[in-house]
Amino acid sequence: MTVGGGPVVEEEKAKGFTFPPDITQLGIISAIIAIIIVIIPGLPAVVKAVGVIFALLWGTDSVRKTSKYGLGTGVPSIGVLAMGYGIVGALVGIAFTKYGSISVGPLEVQPGVLIGVIVMAIVGLISGVLSNNEKIIGMKIPGLERGMTELGMAGTLAMLLQFSIVAGSLNFDVVIEKAISTGLIAVMFVLSMMAMFHPYNACLGPDERRPRTLMVSIEISGLLCIILGIALAANPTSALGIADGISLLIFGVIVWIVFFVMFVKTAMREAYSTVGTGLIKTIE
Amino acid sequence: MDPIILYIVACVLVGGVLASLGVHLLPVGGAPAAMATATGVATGTVMLMLGAAMCGLFTAASVATYTSNIWLVALSGAVASWLMMGVTMLLANLLYVFGAGVVPVSGRVDMDPITKESQKEYKTPQCDGHGVPNVSFISGMIGALLGGFGGALMYFALLKYANFEPTMAGVAAMGIFVANAIIAAYNIGGTIEGFQDPKFKRLPKAILTCGIISLLSGVLVWVVANMGGLIL
Amino acid sequence: MLFAWMLLIVFLALIACMFEDLESDTGSQSNPNSQVQLAPQVGQVNRFFNKAISGEAPSYAMYCTIAGVVAYVLLSKDVNPLLAIPIGALVGEAIHVIFSVTAHVGRTAAQKRFEQPIYLDVLYGHLLPIMTHGFMATLCITAIAYIQSNIGSLSGMPALNHPFALPMLGFIWGITVGAIGSSTGDIHYGAEREFQDRPFGEGKRVVYHGKITRYADCGVRTQKDIVYFCAKYGGPVTGLTFGVIILFENWRSLVGMMLSGYLPGVQATAGSMTAIIGIGVGLVIGIALIVGNVVIVKWARKRYGPFVGE
Repeated sequence: MTVGGGPVVEEEKAKGFTFPPDITQLGIISAIIAIIIVIIPGLPAVVKAVGVIFALLWGTDSVRKTSKYGLGTGVPSIGVLAMGYGIVGALVGIAFTKYGSISVGPLEVQPGVLIGVIVMAIVGLISGVLSNNEKIIGMKIPGLERGMTELGMAGTLAMLLQFSIVAGSLNFDVVIEKAISTGLIAVMFVLSMMAMFHPYNACLGPDERRPRTLMVSIEISGLLCIILGIALAANPTSALGIADGISLLIFGVIVWIVFFVMFVKTAMREAYSTVGTGLIKTIE
Repeated sequence: MDPIILYIVACVLVGGVLASLGVHLLPVGGAPAAMATATGVATGTVMLMLGAAMCGLFTAASVATYTSNIWLVALSGAVASWLMMGVTMLLANLLYVFGAGVVPVSGRVDMDPITKESQKEYKTPQCDGHGVPNVSFISGMIGALLGGFGGALMYFALLKYANFEPTMAGVAAMGIFVANAIIAAYNIGGTIEGFQDPKFKRLPKAILTCGIISLLSGVLVWVVANMGGLIL
Repeated sequence: MLFAWMLLIVFLALIACMFEDLESDTGSQSNPNSQVQLAPQVGQVNRFFNKAISGEAPSYAMYCTIAGVVAYVLLSKDVNPLLAIPIGALVGEAIHVIFSVTAHVGRTAAQKRFEQPIYLDVLYGHLLPIMTHGFMATLCITAIAYIQSNIGSLSGMPALNHPFALPMLGFIWGITVGAIGSSTGDIHYGAEREFQDRPFGEGKRVVYHGKITRYADCGVRTQKDIVYFCAKYGGPVTGLTFGVIILFENWRSLVGMMLSGYLPGVQATAGSMTAIIGIGVGLVIGIALIVGNVVIVKWARKRYGPFVGE
């Protein structure tokens, strides 16, 4: 359980394009990148990992925006909900892969998986409406409907991309045999859910700053890439063979080191003070 | 109409509704309960329900390997879950009584509805009760029983009617279970003492919402099994 | 041989949950951590380690699942289990330490206006105790998952292997161990040790919240002063909880199997009777637990009496 402090301050809408992009812009960019990468399962693992990073970043932003108003049960619950929806949506997605498959050159484009994303967006919207409606559950959180819709989509996209990394394709039987029966789905579920809610939970407090929080999300995605790289290198699935897994592992290590060091240095610089040791004081 | 879809959707619907009912019956005190400021078990609602249901799912999975009776599998899951809650709450009470020196009392009712013991004079002032009194204990055991039953029922439906593999059925059952438990936890605002708590009267709203979500999930699971060619 | 493996699982469960609770006290995770978070906001600057990685259940699910996946991948490459399981646990714990660092540093940086500094010796000095306690818990859970998914092959009856894959078993027990540790052991830390200078025998009132005990027997208190206290009562009781649960689970399944004739030889026709006996034994044990609780509450009410004082 967490205790926040201070009143909730709405952030100003940035004019034009900023870096890092504001909430709506980041959502649209992440959605487009993740959707384009997910419908082409033949890409190398590193490209799909970039898609995973963006999908989880979108989820983190959504969790942050929704939890700011106080959910009552704490931040982790909405992250777990997102990935719970993600599992169901990903299963629906891979069931529809074989419909609408087009071949573009050597790569296959399979837009059928997007049906899972759309279905989960609808389920997220329905649960958001039911949760916020005063006559039913009545959480009264502004933007909960939009938040739950986005979380349904982000969770499903993240899960689908991770399936395609580990299994090499999005065909139903291949995914079940390589990613689900081996139990790898459990680690995907847990690390994705952590990547969505840990950043806001770890940086909770009145002086929380959004760019600093988003760095943690990318760092956790780097850890996820390391674990998936180990699993992929042990069971090579695509034409690139073991180089696919090793390249994913190295990519994960680089992303993790860069963002971890950046985050710790930023946090130590922005804290009240960073001392080697010291006594404590009491402020009345 | 193919009866398989009715079985799957019915089992998932009943499982989800039982999950949300179980969440309302578990005595959860949240963070204040860990400081003996509130009655109940000192953890989060969703996580406790999930822990009990996972115990139930484990036993149900191993029982499903040697029997195909839906009632036996679901009841095995229910009993495993109720044992886990019972032992956890009993030893938590040992810690409250001997480690923190408090008498388990409820803060929401003046008299225990089951054992007719009075609660008010044993309660620390400015606290909302502490420990796990008898009524919360029994409420928690029943809640875990129902939750475990629901989880195991969903697992069995996915395993035998939709022909999923054991790990896949387990993960999908857990995913749907957790979504229902979280929405029910939103309904009670995170903490509840059991069926004696006034918040328990909010139950019908959660049942409605979880029913709709489970119905949709059940239909989606049938679609997955059909499209994937698992049901012949 | 089957009984030997099941007893080993019970023993490992006891060790696992005891170390899980001690690790959550070393890092101050989950519910009592809300006090460590609240303390600077009421003016009590402190030298505690603020490890805010969600509750214990999802975080233990994470470490145990990662350990399970790495162990599973190594085992599928024919590495000896004696090597695969500790390496998996080590990878899980390395990730644990990374999350602890981001949590502590992030939370303290977000409390800039309350003048809470980041003490580097608190940060560096607690990472290794967290890692070692967590390693014991994760190692035992991964070993339990490995034995359970192979118990049939290890004792000569392959039909008894648990159908779930190893990472999934790690996930299930990780969540259970985290939920149990959070429900039982955290009471000793939160209600007793964190408010050591308040009177024993009362609930901690809302006005006390945030004003935790920051001074130790000699000097300023850190998590290291908390672990040895909780290891005397909170840790072992938590271990006992999980051990007893696993004991009851295995015992009633075995009783069912033996009485119905399912063992030895795995006759398929006795399957339903096994389940029925197992359910019956479980119901009897549950009712005994309810009676036990009634007895304890009655004893406490008689011995302690009504609340005296203000």
